[in-house]
Amino acid sequence: MDEVFEKRLPRPEDLNAMTEESLKAAFAGESQAAEKYMVFAEHAVEEGYANVAKLFRAISYAETRHARNHLRVMKGIGATADNLLTAFGGESFEIDEMYPAYAAIAKAQENAQASRSVRYALKAEQDHKRMYADAREQVLTGKDVAAQLVSVCEICGHTVIGDVPDKCPVCAAAKEYYKTF
Amino acid sequence: MAEPFKNTPPAPEDKGVMTAQNIAAALAGESQASQKYLAFADVADADGYPNVGRLFRAVAFAESTHARNHLSVLGGIGTTTENLKAAWGGETFEIDEMYPAYDAVAKLQENKSAQTSIRYALKAELDHQGIYDSTLKGVEGKKDLAAEPVRVCPICGHTVIGDAPDECPQCGTAGLYFKEF
Repeated sequence: MDEVFEKRLPRPEDLNAMTEESLKAAFAGESQAAEKYMVFAEHAVEEGYANVAKLFRAISYAETRHARNHLRVMKGIGATADNLLTAFGGESFEIDEMYPAYAAIAKAQENAQASRSVRYALKAEQDHKRMYADAREQVLTGKDVAAQLVSVCEICGHTVIGDVPDKCPVCAAAKEYYKTF
Repeated sequence: MAEPFKNTPPAPEDKGVMTAQNIAAALAGESQASQKYLAFADVADADGYPNVGRLFRAVAFAESTHARNHLSVLGGIGTTTENLKAAWGGETFEIDEMYPAYDAVAKLQENKSAQTSIRYALKAELDHQGIYDSTLKGVEGKKDLAAEPVRVCPICGHTVIGDAPDECPQCGTAGLYFKEF
């Protein structure tokens, strides 16, 4: 099956700058479409449209294929040690620059809901940064991380390895609302 | 016994143009992070790091909760009718403007893989536009979509309602590989 896939997927390519910009923007668009459609699917379920929900999930999956193809062409997918470094870098940027800047502006503009959404994300990115750093250390020595469960608060994204707290330390949701991987 | 406390995602709040711009940028960032981590998870599995794969999937889910929260603050989650209209509008923009423009640039610059990745997406968005359009007509009359499977090509995202074709008309992948929803 892997060979079948390998043959038909668009290959990584040295891109000219404008084409690369195009694919970057397309990757951003497809990624957002995929996320939106998953949210829309949940709402369709709540409104009693089970089959519309299924449609949204299917099309979300199609958009993830497009996002993946674009990312692959841009050489955005590497070996696991490289991918962990990329992930660590992204989280670090969000923690050190992006979310603090957005938090400052949301506060200045007294947008309480935006402040909350930014705070939830910023807190979770700190968990992620540490987990990616630890994982990379292991992978650089050729070892997988320990087989512990990873759980995520479905409200704020708080991420924990091992036991789930009784309530989320970031948003106070009960432990029933953690999703475990 | 009392219900466990469930927090709710941040609510829509329209306050501050700069804040809205930032939250929109954060939605783009979280959506892309989620898609990257899902791609990295598959690589980790293939590289023999199943627990790193699991970590990537968990963190991808956390980023999805952030994307949903930001989308909620922006007022981007409506009724299913509104969501179908928004989805149709997004697909239409990609078909009429975005992908034709990107395709022209990739052709001009002779970036072949980029053209393939763009063509796969553009073709599938045409499927999605048509399906959203007919689904919207049903939901406006309070009718759910028929309970038929939706099938998606894992290579190019070609999307059909009902049976998979013997071979994907866009990329030639055998129908047996289509993912069923």
